[in-house]
Amino acid sequence: MATDKQGLSTAESLRKTRTYGKFRCHNPSCMERIQPEKGCKTAKCPTCGMEYRIHWVNANLPRIRGPVWEVNKKLAEEKLKEKGVS
Amino acid sequence: MALNRKIAYIDLTTGDIEIKPIPLEVRKKFLGGRGLDAYLLYNHTKKGCNPLGPANTLLISAGILTATCASATARTHIMAKSPLTGLLGSTNMGGFFAPELAWAGFHHLVIKGKAEHPVYISINNGEIEIRDARGIWGKSVTDTQWAIREDLGDEEVKSCVIGPAGENLVRFANVMTGIKNSGGRTGMGCVMGSKNLKAVSARGTLDIQIAHPVEALDYNKRFIDQIVSAKVNQTQGVLGTPFIWGATNCWGGVRTRNFQYNQCEYADDIEPERIDEIAEESMGKHHMTGCFGCQVHCRAQYKIPSGPLAGKYDEGPEYTSLGAFGAETDTPRAETVLTGNYLVNQFGMDNLETGSLISWAMELYELGIITEKETDGLDLSWGNDKAVLEMVERICYRKGWLADALADGGIPASKKIGKKSFDYLVQVKGMSNLHSDERPTPALALNVATASRGSDHLRSRPAIDLYHLPEKVLRKIYGSPVPYDGPLSSEHTEYVGKPWQVFWQENCFMGVDILGICKYHTTFLGPTLPNFEDWSKVLYYNTGLEMTPEEIWEVAWRCNMMERLFNLREGLTRNDLEKGDMLNHRYFDEPCKRGAIDVIGMTIDKKKFVKMVDELYKHQGLDREGVPKKETLKNLGLENEPSHLL
Repeated sequence: MATDKQGLSTAESLRKTRTYGKFRCHNPSCMERIQPEKGCKTAKCPTCGMEYRIHWVNANLPRIRGPVWEVNKKLAEEKLKEKGVS
Repeated sequence: MALNRKIAYIDLTTGDIEIKPIPLEVRKKFLGGRGLDAYLLYNHTKKGCNPLGPANTLLISAGILTATCASATARTHIMAKSPLTGLLGSTNMGGFFAPELAWAGFHHLVIKGKAEHPVYISINNGEIEIRDARGIWGKSVTDTQWAIREDLGDEEVKSCVIGPAGENLVRFANVMTGIKNSGGRTGMGCVMGSKNLKAVSARGTLDIQIAHPVEALDYNKRFIDQIVSAKVNQTQGVLGTPFIWGATNCWGGVRTRNFQYNQCEYADDIEPERIDEIAEESMGKHHMTGCFGCQVHCRAQYKIPSGPLAGKYDEGPEYTSLGAFGAETDTPRAETVLTGNYLVNQFGMDNLETGSLISWAMELYELGIITEKETDGLDLSWGNDKAVLEMVERICYRKGWLADALADGGIPASKKIGKKSFDYLVQVKGMSNLHSDERPTPALALNVATASRGSDHLRSRPAIDLYHLPEKVLRKIYGSPVPYDGPLSSEHTEYVGKPWQVFWQENCFMGVDILGICKYHTTFLGPTLPNFEDWSKVLYYNTGLEMTPEEIWEVAWRCNMMERLFNLREGLTRNDLEKGDMLNHRYFDEPCKRGAIDVIGMTIDKKKFVKMVDELYKHQGLDREGVPKKETLKNLGLENEPSHLL
């Protein structure tokens, strides 16, 4: 795994694929790329509806801190009801 | 010859010490570290030996690459028959001890017998001495290390030690080095305690010969480039392993309230960013540190911010402490997590086992299976921070009926408690599960069920299964160094192809453990990190040993088989809930209730799980009962074990 076909090191080819200002949805079946508005505190996944609190590492680098708990709980309870799980 | 490393046999009963070279034929079959230890354990213990008796053999080792020019080869491996599980005992820790042991002239120690009174073993540039430790018995992990430095008059001495938990024969006591480098799981600290062995210290300035130093250094630059450019390691270098916990909790993969839930809600105070703030507030901006020869620096330094132990210095906390003293017990508060982390580090006690057993007791208390009579008046309600910390101390010192029972491990405790307590004990082979929840991830569930040392994530965790990598990428990883053209799925909820991933990962993790490399430097959390192909070159440049990636794969497979042989000899059977490759019924019966939408309602399908085990056994060369086939043993050169070559 040290080098790829173009003769780049793994590290170099990795750097080429980096995206900034976006993160992936933490729902493992979704993993949609989400691009939050700069500086905003929460963001909603347009695909699955999960909502996240955001930590800004710097002005251009957002990272998911955790779910918005109330939304998370509401979605979970709806889904449990839908699946008939008590 | 670059491979002129030695092995020392130390008998604590007689005081006899014998030093031998490691024959090349044994090296080629098992290389070093955990692999060679597995060979030594099988050859130097008898079937059914008492794990706390003098006949149990304790092995302490460095990897074959330790102290060479290869990065992050700081791992110390420790092995014996486990007093927690009665099966394989094995642990692996970072820090600075293993390189010092290598510079002191030894790569493997075989410790037998039992000393008459507390002792420690001092190793200094080829000389081995058994010294009186009566004056340091009873001391904490940190105090023990400083007392040894003072006794030897050398501040550079590195030691692996036990704390009070090991002395009190807590069955999940750790071997520790530094502030928090923990040889946890399976109770190797308890084995040391049973031998009256307080510590092993090392100091060395001997040369480690490098076969091809220029090439070794040059190749290591590429290694470092790969390692530091992986996004997962960059994040680890800022937030440490709590970042994995945070991300996992986000989607619902964290055990909470002893498996009642799969997500710890409102965990803001223990999220990695909060822990990072506390570390920065107490230790400054540059508060991350690392093990010998590692560029990742995944360990935070911090001081406890508040509470009765406010201001105490500690390192970590790791993923497992967030689970042990936060989610499992439903006490997601930084003060509790950091204080609990400090206590287990100083007591030398496994955080994961401690937190799991306390949370199990809390559930039993909730169900009325135990009452304040058994807890000696302690209110074990969920979320009781004080009770959690009190229980940590009680277990270490075996204070009270319940703590004394828990100190013997979950299965013995369930027999004392009785009723239906065993049903609620989330364990495999007598060892508690990592504080993660594998119900949404069949590959990871298969891994914990079949791991050689009991429920464990560090024997074979195909964690990249959660990244939904394209099948082409998966094939590139899992199709090398031996070809694989069977099914592979990039869907983490699938069962298809997962047994191969688990088998591959098992050999990959054995690979790093025999070389002495940290698992964050291989295919674990990042798909681009080095594995077999790179190891072949690193091994050659550093030791002169020529092995193809396929040959290293075969060594890893052989070493895993050696561990299997040991477990089978000690009573492992496929479906035994106490000593088998089987999960607690809750994985199959209780659906996930929280987390990402797609995770909710998930369980492991038992029929599919059984099929996965069948398929994994096929890959491993075992029959349907999990016993190695004759041709497998022959192909791996293990048909004559025990062979007593060392």
